[in-house]
Amino acid sequence: MPQLRMTGRGLWITALIVPPLAFVALFIVYPIISAFAYAFFDWQGLKRLDFVGLENFHTVLFVEPYRSWTLNAFKNNVIVFFALMVLQNGLGFILAYALWRELPGARFHRIAVFLPVVLSTIIVAYLFKLFYHPLFGVVNISLKSIGLGWLAQPWLGQSGTALGSIIVAQAWHMVGFPTLVFLAGMQRIPSEILDAVRMETESEWVKITKIVWPLVAPSATIVFTLLFVGAFNWFELPYIMGGLDGSPFGSTDVLGLYFYRTAFGNVSAGQQDFGLGSALAVIIFLFIAVVAGVITTRLRAREIQL
Amino acid sequence: MARLSLRDIKKRFKTTDVLHGIDLEIGDREFVVFVGPSGCGKSTLLRLIAGLDPISGGDFFLNDQRMNDVPPSRRGIAMVFQSYALYPHMDVYENMAFGARLMGLTKDEVEKRIADAARMLRLEALLKRKPRELSGGQRQRVAIGRALVRKPEVFLLDEPLSNLDAALRSEVRLEIAKLHRDIGGTMIYVTHDQVEAMTLADKIVVMNAGRIEQVGSPRELYETPANTFVATFIGSPRMTLVDVTRDGEKLAVANGGSIATGALPAGDTFKLGLRPDAVKLHRGHAGDGLTAQVVYTEYLGDNAYVYSRLADGTLVSARTGPNDIYAPDEAVTVTVEPGSAHYFSAEDGRRLTP
Repeated sequence: MPQLRMTGRGLWITALIVPPLAFVALFIVYPIISAFAYAFFDWQGLKRLDFVGLENFHTVLFVEPYRSWTLNAFKNNVIVFFALMVLQNGLGFILAYALWRELPGARFHRIAVFLPVVLSTIIVAYLFKLFYHPLFGVVNISLKSIGLGWLAQPWLGQSGTALGSIIVAQAWHMVGFPTLVFLAGMQRIPSEILDAVRMETESEWVKITKIVWPLVAPSATIVFTLLFVGAFNWFELPYIMGGLDGSPFGSTDVLGLYFYRTAFGNVSAGQQDFGLGSALAVIIFLFIAVVAGVITTRLRAREIQL
Repeated sequence: MARLSLRDIKKRFKTTDVLHGIDLEIGDREFVVFVGPSGCGKSTLLRLIAGLDPISGGDFFLNDQRMNDVPPSRRGIAMVFQSYALYPHMDVYENMAFGARLMGLTKDEVEKRIADAARMLRLEALLKRKPRELSGGQRQRVAIGRALVRKPEVFLLDEPLSNLDAALRSEVRLEIAKLHRDIGGTMIYVTHDQVEAMTLADKIVVMNAGRIEQVGSPRELYETPANTFVATFIGSPRMTLVDVTRDGEKLAVANGGSIATGALPAGDTFKLGLRPDAVKLHRGHAGDGLTAQVVYTEYLGDNAYVYSRLADGTLVSARTGPNDIYAPDEAVTVTVEPGSAHYFSAEDGRRLTP
């Protein structure tokens, strides 16, 4: 039988590995597993009652009113994902291309575009809440001052515009991130390849769609996957700008808010249910993990080694 | 038909002048090689002709049409890059089809041109491969194929062999020469390798520090170099330049004896240019000639090069037979085959004729 000898080296390795492993197990693995476990029990406040199997999952997915709430929040997350895909990643790609082509002022804008990313989400949320204020928000004041007063409206106060307004704030906040990743991807393209394209066409459109876009595929994989995870975990901005109930009328409700409300209760409706909340958390986690896994493998397949 | 005419072409990057007024005429179907040391401006000049960088001053005409402001894709010029610059996400076929399709050719015409190019360059079996699945030589052929299918009037090749190993290099060199014979376009080829220049060119343009030093056939450049730069740049081992003063019918080196070289140009002091095959070595310090000491010998199989130092410190290279082995520090006397020496002005290095 091979013997594990506790030599000086072995001791060292053990001493270095055990503390972080213990830390991860205690503060990451254990909570995740227990959250999974919570989902299979009935709860009364913080008191665990009977094992109920998949009952909690059934309730949040198929029993009213949870069913409608779940679907509504999920629908909003889907909207957020696609809207941000266009606004954040799409704009990020265009900004990156403009920065990469070194249009005038590129040095300044390279920093300016990334600056909001560094800001705290809380600051961004309150800033945009002020911008959108119906009476003295800068958005409405600007619209009025250029004669478009009829467009001024309570952006965060009506169902039709609230979610979109928060999405715009999110896009402004994070657009620098995909820009940076795409820019890094573009800068990896050898300059002779770009010269070779220029010998064959002067169309920027052809250059972007046929050469640059396929060659920044690794960057696209990263920003797509991260955006997907971020969009379905979205919490801070809607929490601060729309409130825990996803006001008005659930129009800014997303899975993150809905989970939080269900598990921990809120001011207006004091009830809380750990079991249902945990079931939601598990469903969100599995959904994100599976879809992100699929996205990553599918996108990886089209990446090219330069 | 493709005639290129460069008139007083200048290039400036910010505050640095890179090309100081290049005048050059290139005729139809000529194979022209730009050669010069690193940083002499030869690649810059090629990029100006391609249109990849804007021309700062002067005019570039292609078939009497001014091209300064025409975008690269509309000049009827194709370029083969040093790193080949194949599109890594396209297979060989797509790499060649990309530019041809953008020219608005019909599908049949694109296919026909690719088939022709693939046959000429032996790429038929590789059409479905991605660039990273090809060897260096194969990539090189694809890069040439990509230029061929566009049927350009002018081919530009920027150091196309420098990423290949030595054995492959001479092979591809022959292929390029053959290609030029077969398709007959005007080719401009940039290299720092004088062997490539000598073997491929109809016309060599020797450049140095942003200026043209001399334009001529390989034979003209070797036999009648216009100045000391061209004289020492073309030919290997390089030509030895010795400062000499006239001593009657002979030329004297400071403290190192004198030598008869045949008819002399006018003037008292000049630079004497000696190619290795013009130099004769004799053992010992005896008789007419320049005294020297052997430094080292390079044995190359079919011949050998012996380097020896003259009394004034100049290193002279001489070609000898493979069996003429000289020991280091051996005393020798240098003489010159009459009529085979070159003479240059001591002031500005221009060629002097006897």
